[in-house]
Amino acid sequence: MSSALPRFILTVPLALLLSACEHLPELPRLGGEQEPNVVFALGTRDGFKSPLEGALKPACPALGFDDESYSVTGAHKKTLAPLIADWPKSKPRFLIAGHTPPGLPEDFARSLSERRAQAVRQHLIENGVEAANLQTVGYGYDSPPASSVVIVYQQQ
Amino acid sequence: MPALRLSSILCLFALLLAPAQADVLPSWLRFWKNTPAAKPAKAEPKRVSVAAFAGGTGTSARQALVAELTTTREFQITEEKPDFIITGNSVGGRITGKVANASGKELLDRTYAAPGLDENAKALADDVILTITGKPGLATSRIVFVSDKSGSKQVYLCDPDGKEVLQVTHHSHGAVSPTLNADGTAVAYTSYSNGFPVVQWMDLGQGWERTVTDTPGSSFGAAFSPDGQRLALVMSFLGNPEIFVTDLTTSTAACISDTTGAPSSPAWHPDGKQVIFADDRGDGPRLYVAEVPATNQTEARLIRWRTGYSFCTDPEFSPDGHSVAFTTRIGGELAVVVKGWPNGPAKVIQNGGASHPSWSPNGRSLCYAQHGNLYVHSLASGLRHLVLEKHGQISEPRWMK
Repeated sequence: MSSALPRFILTVPLALLLSACEHLPELPRLGGEQEPNVVFALGTRDGFKSPLEGALKPACPALGFDDESYSVTGAHKKTLAPLIADWPKSKPRFLIAGHTPPGLPEDFARSLSERRAQAVRQHLIENGVEAANLQTVGYGYDSPPASSVVIVYQQQ
Repeated sequence: MPALRLSSILCLFALLLAPAQADVLPSWLRFWKNTPAAKPAKAEPKRVSVAAFAGGTGTSARQALVAELTTTREFQITEEKPDFIITGNSVGGRITGKVANASGKELLDRTYAAPGLDENAKALADDVILTITGKPGLATSRIVFVSDKSGSKQVYLCDPDGKEVLQVTHHSHGAVSPTLNADGTAVAYTSYSNGFPVVQWMDLGQGWERTVTDTPGSSFGAAFSPDGQRLALVMSFLGNPEIFVTDLTTSTAACISDTTGAPSSPAWHPDGKQVIFADDRGDGPRLYVAEVPATNQTEARLIRWRTGYSFCTDPEFSPDGHSVAFTTRIGGELAVVVKGWPNGPAKVIQNGGASHPSWSPNGRSLCYAQHGNLYVHSLASGLRHLVLEKHGQISEPRWMK
């Protein structure tokens, strides 16, 4: 009995603390990718031209990505800012194409480049560009440039 | 109180020593798994007699058959006390072969009438191997791969010796990510013919192509189900790349992943009920397994499979479903690893840039690409041989199952 009381005193607060932890808000992941709140499905691809079919004009400098990241960084946002500011004037359509360098497994490279293009598309949508005006494609390193970039091509 | 402590210690020991609980305990408790088990006795090669073949091309047919059977190292070709007896005849390249066991019971009787004698001998050899060992032969199997030899990435086929190379696709802007169905009669791949990635499949016998998906975004990584009726693939029309299973007869598709990451390279379990794939959710690509629902009323159950590696792509189940081969990264270079499914040790098969492993139909070898060449690696002997080199940059090999 003499040892039961201290054990009870230790156990009850610990149990309460653990149950309280269950209701704590989820903390952001360290080093992880940001998950968007709403993901917009892609509209029809009719009328969009591929950079493989002929030279297309990039709407802004290419957006570089590190390693296997697919997060839109502050530098990306700064590069995209003029494009976002000008978009309401003529409401152009953009094809966002992702690329990776060789050396990655081929299928993973395609998915990663598509995911990066989707992240850029998501940023443009959240800043006022209409989802229907944005298409994505991930080429991996099946077509040049074979580097970790996303290129936003303006459509005619 | 001492009695309670004693019983607790006994319970702990009982828990530690109970092998039946091995799967539910953490790995650090499963120390008995590392104790060396008695190795099963090595199976003696089957003693096979190949009698002289009658007919004008009988001698050539017998020679080709013996060469194929010898290559497998499964048989001892002998006239003394054979377990199985092969007889046959060949006229004009056409071959009829029969297999009987030692007591004279006929196990196989088939005629092969393809245009070439070698082709017929290989087909007979595969049937003999299947009849005697119960496992498929490799002589008529095919490996599909991508090469840039023509100037753009295109899909090619070859046999397991790297011979009979055939260019399958001739698409403008290329075709990649190929897969063969179980009997090797159809190949699915991603084509860039309209400038965007579109999954198509081709009937190799008839030569016609059909578009499986032409959805916005990207479509790639197609894998035939064991019954050939469905494809697992990556599509991104929903806004993020996801793994889908599409029914080729009804042209309907269901999403089986639930990710905001970068999923890739789905592959089927031989039971046709599970799909394994890689997914990068922000901490590098890891492996996940989705149970494909039998009906639309149930949801796909998804589990993460821990391999011990932080970078895992291109997984493929062995034909018996007991192992998974995948690509990982060791020392900054790609490497091929095999790990027991669902539990088992991982073994590095080849490092130094090897990638995209694919199992042979009998589960005894892997093919993979390394430095632009195609290799076949025997898992029993640990030896590998260069199957195809100087054929452009070879990548993404897949062996027919």
